[in-house]
Amino acid sequence: MTALPLVGFVALSSALLAIGLFGILTRRNFILVLIAIEIAMNAAILNFVYFGAFAGGTGGLSGQAIAVVLIGFAATEVAVGLAIVLALNRLKGTINVAQATDLRF
Amino acid sequence: MSLEELAFLALAAVALFTAVAALLVRELVHTILWIAVFFVDISAIYFLLEAPFLGVLQLGVYAGAVTVLLLFGVMLTRKRIFSREAVTGIGAVPLALAVVTFIFAITAVGQLPQSDQPVRSYDPALLSQNLFTTNGPWLLLLGLLMMGAVAGAIYLVREGRE
Repeated sequence: MTALPLVGFVALSSALLAIGLFGILTRRNFILVLIAIEIAMNAAILNFVYFGAFAGGTGGLSGQAIAVVLIGFAATEVAVGLAIVLALNRLKGTINVAQATDLRF
Repeated sequence: MSLEELAFLALAAVALFTAVAALLVRELVHTILWIAVFFVDISAIYFLLEAPFLGVLQLGVYAGAVTVLLLFGVMLTRKRIFSREAVTGIGAVPLALAVVTFIFAITAVGQLPQSDQPVRSYDPALLSQNLFTTNGPWLLLLGLLMMGAVAGAIYLVREGRE
């Protein structure tokens, strides 16, 4: 296959990171915050694959291996996040992150 | 412009559109539908980058498992799953912070060595060999983390907790 420009890939993952960060900061629903974290996490995983692919040598292989591990990490994080959502829903009756203030001073 | 570049531009446009749509639509179930499209699109980008194993993993783990898990989260936390979110404003400060992050990340590109090598494809057998030798500790760490996460998730949701 022909060479793709690295700039395009980095622009895509930078934009996805920015969208994810924006979602984490503005959304009030815990599930939406989790989804925003997943968008940012996908941007990070994509970076490993591109930079590995463009590094040459066996860099592509290591990049893909780390990406496999990171996909597992992200799935684990969603599972624990949803357990927190359910616990929060039972304790407070809402999953609004603005109302989860028990650990605040 | 080559076919790969056109495909990449189309996939990138769909990824950005679906990510924004997922965060801005008001019905949570529609958010999850958009995010499912986003995950499938990212999987197509992996196929474009000659990483078919990752593409399949992305489809199975993200588009399959994570989407269904999120849907369960929505179903278990509200009485009517199609009820709408309260409108939350866009917020100038988070928007500015996101734009600054984007500019900061994209300016790093100027410092990168530009490569015109074509993307290499690897045999998935080589990838699995790498996962059990060179990057074996990471896989072990993932296993331990998942075990801990299962215990933690069960502790969090069990009945009769004070």
